[in-house]
Amino acid sequence: MARIELKDVSRIWSQSGKQTVGLKPMSLSIADGEFVVLLGPSGCGKTTTMRIVAGLESTSTGEVWIGERCVNSFEPKDRDVAMVFQSYGLYPNMTVFENIAFPLKIRGVASTEIDAAVKRAAAMVELGELMDRKPKALSGGQRQRVALARAIVRKPSVFLMDEPLSNLDAKLRVSMRSHIKHLHHTLKVTTLYVTHDQIEAMTLADRVVVMSKAEIQQVGTPDQIYNDPANTFVAGFVGSPAMNLIEGEFNDGRFTASDMTLSPFHLSHTGCAVLGVRPEDVRVSRREGSATLDANRVAATVFSCELTGDATLVVGNVGGQQIIAKADKSARFAIGETVSLLIEPDRCFLFDAATQRRIR
Amino acid sequence: MPLSRFAQRIIYVALALWLVIASLPVIWTAVISLRDYVDAFANPVKWSAPVTFENYRALWIDREFYRNFFNTMVVTIGTVSISLCVGCLAAYALARYRGSLGFWLLLVALVFRALPHSTLLPSFFTLFDALGIRNTYFSLIFVLVAINQPFTIWMLRSFFMNIPAELDEAAMVDGCSRFQAFRRVIIPVMWPGIVTTGLFSFLLAYNDFLLSSALTNAEKMTMPAAIANSISAESEALLMQGVAGAVSITLPLIILVVIFQRQIVSGLTQGAVKG
Repeated sequence: MARIELKDVSRIWSQSGKQTVGLKPMSLSIADGEFVVLLGPSGCGKTTTMRIVAGLESTSTGEVWIGERCVNSFEPKDRDVAMVFQSYGLYPNMTVFENIAFPLKIRGVASTEIDAAVKRAAAMVELGELMDRKPKALSGGQRQRVALARAIVRKPSVFLMDEPLSNLDAKLRVSMRSHIKHLHHTLKVTTLYVTHDQIEAMTLADRVVVMSKAEIQQVGTPDQIYNDPANTFVAGFVGSPAMNLIEGEFNDGRFTASDMTLSPFHLSHTGCAVLGVRPEDVRVSRREGSATLDANRVAATVFSCELTGDATLVVGNVGGQQIIAKADKSARFAIGETVSLLIEPDRCFLFDAATQRRIR
Repeated sequence: MPLSRFAQRIIYVALALWLVIASLPVIWTAVISLRDYVDAFANPVKWSAPVTFENYRALWIDREFYRNFFNTMVVTIGTVSISLCVGCLAAYALARYRGSLGFWLLLVALVFRALPHSTLLPSFFTLFDALGIRNTYFSLIFVLVAINQPFTIWMLRSFFMNIPAELDEAAMVDGCSRFQAFRRVIIPVMWPGIVTTGLFSFLLAYNDFLLSSALTNAEKMTMPAAIANSISAESEALLMQGVAGAVSITLPLIILVVIFQRQIVSGLTQGAVKG
């Protein structure tokens, strides 16, 4: 096991005089035994970061440390990492046993030792009876378990997992997620995990690194990422349904937008601002007649009302902006109906409209 | 839309007719190779005649055609082996290389492939004479490999492109060097593609007439070049030996194509789709 240290690491590709930035200079420290998830949309640089750690991609600047070694000049095979790929990366001409045994065989481990290690790894991911099958005779979930077994068989210092669950169906994804969580708990190997799925990130990670546009947006525990977002990107990316982001003006502790005034906020900011409020923090209730609204209540016209099973999502139109409220599963509203939305300032986040950063 | 039964029958009849027309010269050559000259070229055509193996005996024993067979085997196996070794390395690199240089290299290779073989011959004459290696297996293999290489590289590259790069990467993370990943993981997966490409290389080298007749004399000549002299000869006996030679050359090819027909078809269709 080992810690991972990225010091000012960047990656720029040049082709025909044109430069593409894959990763802006970033620094990140991952503690020994920690499970860190790189979360972000496609093209945000998360896979590039992982490939740099694996040695499959070189750095343009900066240093990569694994344990006590700067591994910049090391080949992937010498970095003592194991990787699980999105499309599994299983060797199609080899059986399950041979696939799992391959990392040991290539390192010249004795065959009796290989046999024991493969059986142990296969048992950990419940692959017992499939050892003689070729990958093409396995289901997606089974293939992914073979890939996991191949990664754990030689007890590497670091696990790298590149969207390992994204090719699986929703049900299997949940069960494999718990497999991975359990494996990490048992083996306690430093793990770097790449995903665009926020549920995976929130459930698996000790810490989440949210990335966008080739740079880190925020690093924190799942709780910090969800409850204390650093900017509008993190606020909007994490959470389902996404956080409501409403553009308006902020003056004297008061946020105003079209048909909306909220106060008091204990923040010293003046000018354009973006208000963020999670759908579950917006209380929706039926509005009787044209009664005056209480403080921090906003009149909205129902745009849609969707039952998701455990809740009802009410999308309301307020002054041309849509606000989503997560109501009780029994709540029902008609499209076009006028409702009142209660948005309490102490449940809201405020962001600077120019920098998109959080105002604290 | 599936074809109607009638349309299917029409197609089958047309194909059967085509098969007869296409195979008639080959079958007739095989038939007359077992006759003497008078029966073979009788006018009107004789549908049946006494069978004799004299033409084959004269060709293989008296004229020592086995030497030409041996030459063909050396040249063909040499060409296929070297073409595949060099081609695999080059095609793998070109399949994985991300820069634009790869595109230009492939384009240049294609241009060389498009040139008529005869345009390259004068320069080879001069070069091989100067080096004193004309009329050697080496020189013939060298030229055949050079001519064959663009095709081999293009075909192998299209096979390599179908193998996901994740396999190489998985192997390298698992403990292989780049070359080990290539040899232990990629080549076994590539095997069908290598067999197909090898077959096409084999056919090119085996069937070569122009280069062998230009670059070698009787001692090192391959089978197609050797029988060409017989077929154009005035002597009746030599002509019949030429006919027996044509059948002798064709037979191994037919066997080879029948055995490997699946690979050849998959190679052809893959080339058509992937370019």
